Amino acid sequence: MKIEVIDYKGKKVMEVSGEIDMHASPSLRKELMSLVSKKTTPLLVDLKGVSYIDSSGIATFVEGLKGMMAFGGKLKLASIPAGVMEIFNFSKLDKVFEIYGDLDDAVNS
Amino acid sequence: MDKAIDVKDLVTHYGEREILKKISFSIPRGKTTVILGGSGCGKSTLLKHLIGLLKPTRGNILINRKDIVSMNEDALNDIRKRMGILFQGAALLNSMTLMDNVALPLREHTELEDSTIQIMVRMKLDLVGLSGFEGFYPSQLSGGMKKRAGLARAMALDPEFLFFDEPSAGLDPVTAAGLDELILKLRNVFKMTIVVVTHELPSVFMIADYVIMLDLGEVIFSGTLDELRVSGNPRIKMFLDRRPEAETYSPEDYFRFIAGD
Repeated sequence: MKIEVIDYKGKKVMEVSGEIDMHASPSLRKELMSLVSKKTTPLLVDLKGVSYIDSSGIATFVEGLKGMMAFGGKLKLASIPAGVMEIFNFSKLDKVFEIYGDLDDAVNS
Repeated sequence: MDKAIDVKDLVTHYGEREILKKISFSIPRGKTTVILGGSGCGKSTLLKHLIGLLKPTRGNILINRKDIVSMNEDALNDIRKRMGILFQGAALLNSMTLMDNVALPLREHTELEDSTIQIMVRMKLDLVGLSGFEGFYPSQLSGGMKKRAGLARAMALDPEFLFFDEPSAGLDPVTAAGLDELILKLRNVFKMTIVVVTHELPSVFMIADYVIMLDLGEVIFSGTLDELRVSGNPRIKMFLDRRPEAETYSPEDYFRFIAGD
């Protein structure tokens, strides 16, 4: 898994690619929670390059969202590939997260 | 067939007694395979070989094309982390809450923070219909709930393979059907390779994509459910029609047997 944090049209974007599994999730958490603790809002997460996510990855995003909600911040997920989206749908989290078709939709929301 | 597991010429003994008699078969990836057979046919023994708990006398068991028979314990443990197993008695630790039972493999095998682990455990418990039970101890649960909790723990590490040993044993028909539905859901959503050992026919017809039937330590059938239904093999027909075995002894043999001659 690779993580890059960039600025895109004035917004902070976390670009994640590769497999988010139990080995990768601790690094994802570290990066995500560091931005949450700095109250970076809105934080956009671009998941276009993610080929696989397991329950540890989903749980990490849940933790991130919980942290954001604690101070009224926004965590927006964008460009989720179909296979990854299936897991979000199944866990009913598609109703909880703000999910956008692509990064520009997330920026303009 | 995309083979997830390939068993070749497997022979195993308990003492002098040959239990599995040079059996060969394959298990397809991402499907539910039921290993079917009467009591004592060797199916639970076979399951213990597939998960590397027993070493065979001869033969090979290839999991993702790697032979687990010749593997050392470290390599085998790596493979086992990709396997979830629901044992007949659920094998929960009675001194621990469900939260701690399900969290155990995650705490043992990952570097995840406990806050992440707790969310994952709640997700798994919800998946098996046990939301809100994380503070309960196994002794406070019914048999069906224990099975589901055992399944939540088997799935803790998001395994690629899920093995069930007689999942319906000891459950009423409604609870057993609920567990079958859960098995179907896991295959559909997570594309897991699921192997179920059972002799419960209603379960077989509900969950199986592929069936392997054992009889007296030999594979007498491997194929789809439709192929099983139309099989002309008399042993299979007897099993599917739930007909008892014919008497194997003549009265004279029986007398000799019990008289000890």
